[in-house]
Amino acid sequence: MTVFSLIIINKAGGLVYQREFQPGLRKLSTNDYLVLAGTFHGVHAITRSITPKLPLSTASTAATTPTSSNMPPTPGIPNSFTPGSAFTFPNPGTPATGLECLETDKFRLTCFQTLTGTKFLLFTDPIMGNIDVVMKKVYELYADYVMKNPFYQLEMPVRCEAFDRHLGGWLRGRT
Amino acid sequence: MAHPPRHSAMLSLSNSGSSANSDKQQPPQQIQHIANTGLRVPSNRKTIYDRHLNRSRNAEISRSSFAFLFGEMVTYAQRRVTGIQDLEKRLNEQGYPMGLRLLDLLYYRTITSSTSSSLASSSTSTAPPNRPLRILPLLHLIHGPLWRLLFNRPADALEHSVSPDTPNEYMITDNDPLVNAYVSVPKEMHMLNCAAFVAGIIEGVCDGCGFEAKVTAHNQPTELWPGRTIFLVRFGESVMEREKVLERAGIK
Amino acid sequence: MSYYFTILSPTDVPLFNIAFGTSKSGGDGIARFRFPDTAQYMNQFIIHSSLDIVEEAQWMNGNMYLKHIDTYPPAAAYITAFLAPSGARFLLLHQPPQLPSTTAPGNGSSSLLGSSFSSSALSGGSSSRASSSSIGANPTSPQTEEAVRQFMNEVYENYVKTMMSPFYRQGLEIKSPVFRSRVTAAGRKWL
Repeated sequence: MTVFSLIIINKAGGLVYQREFQPGLRKLSTNDYLVLAGTFHGVHAITRSITPKLPLSTASTAATTPTSSNMPPTPGIPNSFTPGSAFTFPNPGTPATGLECLETDKFRLTCFQTLTGTKFLLFTDPIMGNIDVVMKKVYELYADYVMKNPFYQLEMPVRCEAFDRHLGGWLRGRT
Repeated sequence: MAHPPRHSAMLSLSNSGSSANSDKQQPPQQIQHIANTGLRVPSNRKTIYDRHLNRSRNAEISRSSFAFLFGEMVTYAQRRVTGIQDLEKRLNEQGYPMGLRLLDLLYYRTITSSTSSSLASSSTSTAPPNRPLRILPLLHLIHGPLWRLLFNRPADALEHSVSPDTPNEYMITDNDPLVNAYVSVPKEMHMLNCAAFVAGIIEGVCDGCGFEAKVTAHNQPTELWPGRTIFLVRFGESVMEREKVLERAGIK
Repeated sequence: MSYYFTILSPTDVPLFNIAFGTSKSGGDGIARFRFPDTAQYMNQFIIHSSLDIVEEAQWMNGNMYLKHIDTYPPAAAYITAFLAPSGARFLLLHQPPQLPSTTAPGNGSSSLLGSSFSSSALSGGSSSRASSSSIGANPTSPQTEEAVRQFMNEVYENYVKTMMSPFYRQGLEIKSPVFRSRVTAAGRKWL
């Protein structure tokens, strides 16, 4: 049950929050964290766009009216409504979101992107399970103590004492 | 972490019960114009005078919507302010009219509800509650019934200043003010306490009852309660003089 | 019985006033005061002159309903007060119809005002017969005080609703025609 650190990246790829909970990873300089956030943002966007689309077979293909097929399919929009190119994603029903998980011997990186494009990156022990529970709680605390704080400016670095306090308290309570 | 349940009771000022729903079903073109007055009254006659003031049981609003509303109020008050004191003054002014209204509403509900023993000032009689005449009944009214109306629990402490120089100072403590639940004040404004809004409500209640007072909110964090807030109530000289006269007259 | 009801703000600004007559015992609900029509300000004058007594009684008694607090004998006007917790004063002036038997010895002696009023009392004579036996004819009886209490409570309910309106600020005149009709209805019901 080890959560090493949390990074929050805003929708423009800027680092807005970085906090280490337990040692285990090498420390980076502030500048390197900014680079990491920006790089991850780019990689995430690429992984989303290279996600293959599986062509749909028979019935639903016939149902859609074939129009000009040189129109590029818009990523993120549910498949069967795009004219001329009926397809499905590997995970049917959900559009491609991009990189979700990256695993090494020493740590696992889990990424969660909100509807507004904010990304939460959790660095955890590779043997740890139930990361989605942690992620959900982090998101909830973010929605409560960051988004409801009248002094927080959108897309700016998160400096909310109550968020730090509740996040730390909750993670400590789990271990 | 003792945490109140989410979506628990909140400021239940208006009660949009079933009557509010029936309002919405009325098409807007059914609003008629009353001659001479210039006042528009819905033709189904559901004005505020047709609403019940006592339907508060299920008329609770969610914590989230209040938090967002209060957040916007703070943001609004922050526009063109000159400093922290100015900001607190504006929040105080936003709360003040609410205090006046709540006072009347609180008494009305106490008169009409069957369990009319909720006002601390009149614990013995079930007859209509008394208006507070002395400082202590007023403070008990704020500490108990008013806090319950606003936050569904009484305040955490009520103290009198120990200093002989300031006999007009009283302190009401709230360990975790609801308005500050999601507020993190930036370091450069650490003196600010957004519960100045609640202080304004208290000031309105005191003034409404005829007790001229200045109420301010101060941070007093402890290990267990990082958001602990003290509301300092400073009564004016005229109130203290009257207090002496009433004490001599034996009025409680 | 003729009534004059007014709401005063904590700073003595009149917020609302209405004059009406009794509806009990066949009364037609129309006010017939003893003053001539040109002297309607007398009601306001009498009511405001009782404010000193209200402000004194206010701190002696914690009740909201202060009952009958003042009498102005020259006009046979009785003042009843109710205090809203937020400081508004509800004052009701009631003037029983002048009975023929009491006209000569009761009034006229105390002041100049009294003598001038007695002449106009005849105009209210028609309703005086009807309501002389009703509860309102004796303004200090317990039944009257109870009836006024009910009236005040009903007005208070509507006043609180006015206060709850986001467009109303304390100290503003109450202009709502709905409020006025509610007060009229309360008067018809209880007085």
